[in-house]
Amino acid sequence: MAPPSRAGSDGAVTFTLRGVRSGFLQGQALAPGVVLYGVAFGALAAQVPLSTLESLLMSALVFSGSAQLAALETLSRGAALATVVAAVLVMNARYVLYGAALRPWMGRLPWWQTYPSLYVLGDANWALSLNRHAAGLNDAGFVLGTGLATFLPWIGGTLAGRVAGGLVPDPQRVGLDFMLVAFSTTLLVGSWSGRKHLAPAAAAVLVAVALDRAGQPGWAIVGAGLAGGLVAALRSGPA
Amino acid sequence: MDGSVVPALVALGIASFACRASGFFLMRYAPRSARLDRTLEAMPLCVMLGIVAPAAVRGSVPELVGIAAAGLAMALSGRDLVSALAGVAAVAAARLVVSA
Repeated sequence: MAPPSRAGSDGAVTFTLRGVRSGFLQGQALAPGVVLYGVAFGALAAQVPLSTLESLLMSALVFSGSAQLAALETLSRGAALATVVAAVLVMNARYVLYGAALRPWMGRLPWWQTYPSLYVLGDANWALSLNRHAAGLNDAGFVLGTGLATFLPWIGGTLAGRVAGGLVPDPQRVGLDFMLVAFSTTLLVGSWSGRKHLAPAAAAVLVAVALDRAGQPGWAIVGAGLAGGLVAALRSGPA
Repeated sequence: MDGSVVPALVALGIASFACRASGFFLMRYAPRSARLDRTLEAMPLCVMLGIVAPAAVRGSVPELVGIAAAGLAMALSGRDLVSALAGVAAVAAARLVVSA
């Protein structure tokens, strides 16, 4: 028997400008960290060297800090294009899970609303959006709004870092490299609902720590999502 | 780098978008079931743990202080984004103290 869905899982899904705006405004809390990370990327891109235009193009096309840093690293070693593409695929593998998890919410919307939203998908905006959806939000414009709230500072930060990298504080010194961990912690505390989460959570932690220890931090997130999801699926009976 | 870098960047962009779009696209062909819904519903929490747990276990003191501060602020205030910024501030302060 199907478990009673959490609030928000059913009901009319919409995609409105209001939702986009609401997401964009809430997402502003994520923007400072993204700007500084973008600056760090821009400064590194200057050393490869990528021109200002190329750096901006990369940020607009790839829009992924970890993937772009990996790409820079392989590019600067003069690696073949296939190697650079592989580095990007590995770093972004978690987005496959993120997109899958958005299907129940956004599956009925037209492609011109969903795929632009997916284009600007990132860790924090995905987590924030699904958190709000679980709490009853049905307006999927929120996903695009929070995505834009991180995409635009990423472009701006890249530009600032490429032309004036040394002038901006190191993200580590102001703690903003920690934003994603801190935000994930608060979402965990906020969405934890006791025993039903225990087994998937234990599996996620074990797999994530093991993969991280094995020197695979990129796969730790993917492994945690898959392991936890699998355990949740195996559990029988009503949730 | 010469002029040939732009096609490479486009290839990277395609790879990146393929990751973002493929999971969503493929789920179109997965028959919806209570089991699948449970899996997908569990995913955000587990991904959050995949981000926090390695950081906690690697555990330098400032990061642990930051995680505790963010969690505590959230438990007290219920406001996730503000509490995350509190965690960021705590990390920055703890790093100052540790490096002093």
